Amino acid sequence: MNQSAVLDHQFTVAAYVLTWAIQLGYLAWLGLRWRAQKRSARRPR
Amino acid sequence: MKKFAIGFCVAITLLLMPWGFYQAIYAAPDEQTMHEVQRIFYYHVPSAMVSFLFFAISLAGSIGFLALRRNHRDRAQAADAWALAAAEVGVVFCTVVLVTGPLWGRRAWGIWWTWDARLTTTLVLWLIYVSYLLLRRFAAGPQMQALAAVLNIFGALDAPIVYMSNRWWRTQHPSPVFGGGADSGIKDPAMLHAFAWNVLAWLAWGLLILALRYHVERQQQKDAARQAQEAIEA
Repeated sequence: MNQSAVLDHQFTVAAYVLTWAIQLGYLAWLGLRWRAQKRSARRPR
Repeated sequence: MKKFAIGFCVAITLLLMPWGFYQAIYAAPDEQTMHEVQRIFYYHVPSAMVSFLFFAISLAGSIGFLALRRNHRDRAQAADAWALAAAEVGVVFCTVVLVTGPLWGRRAWGIWWTWDARLTTTLVLWLIYVSYLLLRRFAAGPQMQALAAVLNIFGALDAPIVYMSNRWWRTQHPSPVFGGGADSGIKDPAMLHAFAWNVLAWLAWGLLILALRYHVERQQQKDAARQAQEAIEA
């Protein structure tokens, strides 16, 4: 594998990993907000 | 029944995502000039398409809110929740576009970024919707929703400019993949399949997140209304 192919591979992996990190990070944040909301709704007033 | 429908949608999405990944990484052939790095295309372009769709949904929600806010208060609140949820998920997808684009550009053009029309208008679109979200987050008062809706409508004017930018002006960014004249389009069927599966997968993923975000926002609106009612009664 030449140097250019290695760099191509690394950049492709970086793009895919960052895409999933952004999407899953947002989903996790949304999940935490949803859970907090459910907990606060269950709390007796 | 509702739980079954939600479970079905989640299952479809969870099947589509790895299938899209497989198509992009293993099934699609290497592109002749850019080789492996061209595979970023299968995440970059579908993300751009989904972000455009969600900004359109957000625009429709804001127009709906302004049209309904005087006579149909609950429907206006639902429209506003769609506007906010779609803008937020649209920003997430647009962020993916702005992150994957420079990675691809660095290998394909030798530079991370250039201020050409397509890249600049996309960044401006992202900044407009981030400012919309910041307004929603930090502003308060009865006029906030209406002001945000107006900002959304003006901000959405940038979306067609982004779409047309590489048709109207000469750009570093490649010419349109679709709808760009006789030479545009994906010629290789395996590449086209990989692209179509990834559009479908990211669309399903985006719609699922959008539905969850809408649900959270509606619940928050209801909680706020109930708390206001309790404060009046106390």
